[in-house]
Amino acid sequence: MLDLLLADARTPTGGFAHSNGVEPAGVGLPELGGFLHGRLSSTGLVDAAVAAAAARGEDPLVLEAAWVARTPSAPTREAARRQGRSLLRVADRLWPGALDAYGVSSAATPRPVVLGLCGALAGIGPRRVAQLCLYDDAATCCAAVPKLHAVDALDVTTVLAGCEDLIAALADRAATARELPSASAPLLDLRSVVHHENSRRLFVT
Amino acid sequence: MTRPLRIGVAGPVGTGKSSLVAAVCGVLADEVRLGVVTNDIYTDEDARFLRATGVLAPERIVAVQTGCCPHTAIRDDVSENLQAVEELDLREGPLDVVLVESGGDNLTATFSPALADVQVFVLDCAGGDDVPRKGGPGVARADLLVINKTDLAPYVGADVELMLADSAAVRDGRPVLAVSLRDAAGVAAIAEWMRAALAEHRAGSLVAQDPGPMAPHHHGDGDLEHTHAHEDGHVHHHAH
Repeated sequence: MLDLLLADARTPTGGFAHSNGVEPAGVGLPELGGFLHGRLSSTGLVDAAVAAAAARGEDPLVLEAAWVARTPSAPTREAARRQGRSLLRVADRLWPGALDAYGVSSAATPRPVVLGLCGALAGIGPRRVAQLCLYDDAATCCAAVPKLHAVDALDVTTVLAGCEDLIAALADRAATARELPSASAPLLDLRSVVHHENSRRLFVT
Repeated sequence: MTRPLRIGVAGPVGTGKSSLVAAVCGVLADEVRLGVVTNDIYTDEDARFLRATGVLAPERIVAVQTGCCPHTAIRDDVSENLQAVEELDLREGPLDVVLVESGGDNLTATFSPALADVQVFVLDCAGGDDVPRKGGPGVARADLLVINKTDLAPYVGADVELMLADSAAVRDGRPVLAVSLRDAAGVAAIAEWMRAALAEHRAGSLVAQDPGPMAPHHHGDGDLEHTHAHEDGHVHHHAH
C-alpha cells in the first residue's frame, strides 16, 4: 500500500504548488499529450532512473551529483530540493531517523533521490519506484491544466490514463539502464528559468 | 534552544492582513527577532509590499507560492510553509517569532496547528457588519479575532458594536480587538497580545488550539454520513 501513499498527491509534500512545466510552456488540452510524451521521455526518464537506482541501494550522494549534472536549470533544482525536503519530512514520520544521515549530508535532496530512498524503506522495487516517479510527474502536469485553462478535468484525466503504455516502457528502461540516462529537454530548462522571473505566475514551476 | 513562535494571520481578501503584519512588525521589530512568511496567489506580491514598508530587513521576509490553493498551504499540506519558516530561522535566526500570513481566502480557512502555534483571524468593517454573525471556525475559534478598519465604519454603515456582540456570542470568551491599523493604540493592543503569546511559548505552556475544520458539510437527502462542527472545535461523524 505504501507505493500508493507515495503516489498520492494528498500525501503532504507540497506538490499542489507545481505545474511541472505546463504553465511555463502554456500547455493546454490540445498540447498536453505531446508535452507529456516529451517531458516523460527526457527529464522524466532521468528522474525515474535516479529514483530507481536510489531504491536499489546505490549511493544517494553519488546519484544526486549525477542528477544535478543532468538538471541544468537552477529553479528546477531548487524546486526538487524543496519537494525532496518535504518528502523527507514524511519519511521521518513513517521511518523515524532512517534518512537522518542523508538529510544532514545532502545539500541538494532532489525529490527523485528521496523518492527512491523512501521506496527502499517501503519495500517497493526499483521498477515500481520508477513508474511512480513518472506517474507523479505526469499527474502533476495534468492537475495544473484545469487550473490554467477552461477545460473539462475529465478530458485531462483521459490524457493521463493514455500515458500508461509510455510510462510502463519508460519505467522498464529506467529500472534496467546500465548507466543513468542523460536525456534532456532544453526548452523545458529555458522556460523554467524564464518562468521563475515571471511575477504573474500561478505555479512555482 | 526553542524554535520561534509561529503566529498565523488569516482572514478574507482585503481585510488588512498584510497591513496588520507590517504594523506589528513596526512595533515589535526592536524588541523581538522577527521573520515573516507570506503566502500569495501570484508569486510574492505580499512579500514585496512588506519589504517596501521597510519595517524589516528584506531578507527576513520570504514568500511561499500556493499554486492557487492558499488554504491547502496553511491547512492540509503545510510542508512548504514549515520549510520556509525553518529555513528562514536557520538563515537569519535564531528568530523569536515568525508571522505566517495566509493568502486571502474565505471565512473557512484556518491554520493547521502543525503550522501555527497561535492564529489571528482578521475581518474588517467594510466587508459587512454581518460577517461575525455568519461565523465559521476563524471567527469563532481563532486565538485572536481582529475587526479592522473601524475608522471606515461610519462611511460604510457598519455597526462595530454589533460586530463585537456577534463575535462575543460565538467566541466563548476568546479575545476580540476592534481596531484601525492607522491608530497606534489598536496596533499596540495586537502587539501586546503577541507578546503574551510569546511569553507563553517561551514558558513551554502554549498548546496550539485548532479552530476546527474548514466548514461543516451539509449533504442532500439520502446521504448516510454527515459531519458537524461543534463549538468546542471537535468533529464527529454519525449516520442518520
